[in-house]
Parts: sequence; structure tokens; C-alpha cells
Amino acid sequence: MTAPLLALCGVDYAYPNGVMALRGLNLTVAKGQKLAILGANGSGKTTLLLHLNGTLQPTRGAIRLDGQPVRYDHRALTDWRRRVGLVLQEPEDQLFAATVGQDVSFGPLNLGLSEAEAREQVNEALTALEIADLADRATHTLSFGQKKRVAIAGILAMRPELLALDEPTAGLDSQGVARLLDALQQLHETGATLVFATHDVELAYAWADQVAIFHQGTVLRQDEATVALADRDLLRRARLQSPLLLELAQLLPEPLLRSRDALLEQLRRRLKIED
Amino acid sequence: MQAIDHYAWTNRWRNRHPLEKLLPALTLLLLTLVLPPLRIGPLALAGTTLATVGGAGIPLKTVLGVLAAPAAFLLAGIPFLAISLSFNDGFSLHFSPDGLQLALETSVRALAAVGCLSFLTLTTPMADLIPLVRRAGVPAGIIELILLIYRLIFVFAERALTGRQAQAARLGYSRFDRGLRSTGLLAGNLFQRALARARRLEIGLAARGYAGDLKVLQLEWPLSWPRLALAMTLVGLTGLASGWI
Repeated sequence: MTAPLLALCGVDYAYPNGVMALRGLNLTVAKGQKLAILGANGSGKTTLLLHLNGTLQPTRGAIRLDGQPVRYDHRALTDWRRRVGLVLQEPEDQLFAATVGQDVSFGPLNLGLSEAEAREQVNEALTALEIADLADRATHTLSFGQKKRVAIAGILAMRPELLALDEPTAGLDSQGVARLLDALQQLHETGATLVFATHDVELAYAWADQVAIFHQGTVLRQDEATVALADRDLLRRARLQSPLLLELAQLLPEPLLRSRDALLEQLRRRLKIED
Repeated sequence: MQAIDHYAWTNRWRNRHPLEKLLPALTLLLLTLVLPPLRIGPLALAGTTLATVGGAGIPLKTVLGVLAAPAAFLLAGIPFLAISLSFNDGFSLHFSPDGLQLALETSVRALAAVGCLSFLTLTTPMADLIPLVRRAGVPAGIIELILLIYRLIFVFAERALTGRQAQAARLGYSRFDRGLRSTGLLAGNLFQRALARARRLEIGLAARGYAGDLKVLQLEWPLSWPRLALAMTLVGLTGLASGWI
């Protein structure tokens, strides 16, 4: 069996003021999966994500990348961050350059690529997120949704193996969410591993292969989305609710339907029959 | 400020090489500083306005708006230059024709100079000028500072505006003293946020391999020598024309 892409074993993390943010946390990210880290507000999801690319170092426990224990020296971190891209929740925290194209070029140039190579990866990332037309726009004139895409493109242009996103859909309207998920799905199909932290159970149910239920600094359970999200007691403990789609789907005798449209279609048919 | 920035990014001459705008603007600026102001001044002002409005397609209203603020300052300064105060025999105020001449010359010269610079700022975003500044030998550290400040000005201007609106919604500006208090609170809050934001930006940049150097791709516009030559010729003619008037 091959080692998971990234594994956290018994990780504790205490803030400098002594408050424990993570305690005995276990999490594995397998290559090519879509994993949702699901937790209520303030449960420590962002702190967890900051461990995935070595921004924070655990006070206890181990993190393994491809089965190898990680190191925190400059070279190891550079390599780690090339392989694991982290997109922060607030795009303003990530964008700094005057134009979109320039901002996205920052990561590739830091990898030591030539200008021509960097330009190519920038174009590729912008195209993947369908924002190639924004390349010469000033960063500060973009809408929130556009900034979010640019922030993701900035990471994507570094061609990471694992893309970790903090609340990727927060603040987007439903169309923005749909477009973003489409783009992420395309990435996934080209082989990217995706991790995102969210408090949105519906999103996790519709999108993720696996779900890690996260509460008070630890993962209560990591399992297939349809299994973990059916555990109502566990969800309640994590101050979450089971997804409405799952609840509805369970009322139907057919196998679980995860797509909103397919489920509605089923329900419509049933209700008509029983009318 | 927002209007200037908007037009800098969207005007018809946005995609022209920045040198085609920078070099004529600076040359004309130099001419207005060395030639007799009452002759070159009006010509330079007319020329830059024509280029900004007719060439780059920026509305005349915007150009006048940009010129209005410095013009108001200059106007307010005229009396102080034209009227001289003397304490020789007691205390007296003189209106001197020389002073008026001086005031007029200074104002026209200053306004013409502002015209040259506003042409540049209205047609050329800061980001386009960076490569030129870099080539002129300005240290990388200072350029990074310019980049970050430029970007953060807009973030904080927006935060300040929404913060003020939120305070006003809770009647924070309903009386003069409350207004002072609210402004102080807002300033303190923005300062704290600036620090917190700087920390998060550091994390964000580190995630993208930041190693102490804010490298980005440089913007590239084709430089048209004929256009540059034409612009420089026009500037030269303006200088010559001022001699014939």
C-alpha cells in the first residue's frame, strides 16, 4: 500500500498564549481525493489548514508527506509549499500585485521558473479558472468573486499536487459557487488532490468523497461522505446538522442520490404517484 | 483618487508603452519650469489637456476636476504674493504690480506643471511606470514598498469608507464631538487591522514561496518609436512656439 500524500498523526498545537487549538488530531489525505474538513465556526479549521503547508508547526505529533516526516528548514518548506498549495479564505490577504497577471506570476517566479515558463503557467492557471480575460486588470477593481478566483489561480499557477482551500465558497453567490465548483472539478479530473475546510454540510455532501468531522481541535471521524454525514449524533456533537439532501434521500428507498437535481426529480415522481 | 485610478487603467492610451507618455510629459514639465511662464504655461496647459481629452479620451470634466484642487490653492496664494507687508514706517500694506506679475507667473507655471503631471497620472497606471523606475536604478526594496503601498491604499480606503458608513449608521457622526470620537476610534481600528492584515499577508505570501523578494512578471507594451518621436516633436514645437508669441 502506498503512503498517503499527507498524513497528520496525533497532532497537538498550542498557540503562543497556551490555548490548545489542535489536540490529538489524525487526518490522512490520499492522492486524488476530494476531502472536506467539516467543522463549525471557531472549531480551528484554519489552524489545521495552516499545518498542511508548514505555516504552523505542531507542538506534538507528526506530519508525513509521502510517508516521509516533514522538516521545517527553508529548503524543505519551499518544496513542501510547491507540492501543497494553500488558498486563504480572504483573497485580500493573498493578493498584492497591481495587476492580475502579475499577481499570479508571483508563485511561479518564486519557484525559479524563467519568465517564459512563468508566463505559460500563469496563462494556464487563469484559463483553468476562466479568468484569462482579467489578466491585465487592476487587482483592486475586481469583484469579490473575481478576487477569490485570482487568489486560487495564484496557487494553481505553482501546479501543486494538493490544493487546500479555506472556506472556498464563503461570500460567493450561488452562481459563483457553481462556477467555482465546476473549475475545481476540472482540476480534480486532471489529477489534483483537493482539501477544503468548510462549515457547509450541504457543500461537503454534494462535493466531497470523504469528510473529516472536526470539532474542538480534533477530527472526530474521517470517512466516506455518505457514511460520516449520516451519523446524526456525531454531527450534533460537532455542532453541525446532517445535510437536507441526505435526509431526503434517506426517505427514498432508492440508493442514495447526491445530486440535487436527481433527487428532486425522484421526489417529484414519487409525490405525483402517491397523489 | 478613485477616478484618476479608474481612468489610468481604462483610457485609450492605456496600452501604449509608458515611455511614450512619460518622456514627453517630463520634457514638457522641464520646459514649463525653465521658459517664461506666461508664454509656455498656457500652451503647455492647452497641449496636455488636448492630449488627455482628445488623445486618451478622458472626459474634460475629470481633467478639470483634477486641476481644480491645485488651482484653488494657487488662487488662494495670489493675494499673499501680490500684496506686500512693510514695517518701515509703522505698518503698511502695499499692492505692488511687480508682486502681481510674480503671482501670476508663479500660478501659471505651477498650473502648467500640474497639467503635465496630471496627464501622466490620468493616462498611466502606477504599475506601468514601475519597470521604468526599476531600470532607472531605484533599489528593489523601495519598488516593493511602492507596490505594496499602492495595493494597500485601496484596501484601506475601502475599509475606512465602510467603517465610516457603519459608524454613521449608528449615529457616530450626529454631533461634532461624536464625530471626532468616531474618527479616532476608526483610525485606531484601521491601525490594528493593518497589523493583523500584514501578518495574514505574510502567511499568504509564504504559501506562494515568498523568499524575501516580491518578483512578478513585468508588463510589456511594444514601444513605438514613431509615436514617441511625434510626441517629442510636438513638445519641442510647443517650446519653440512659446518663443514666437
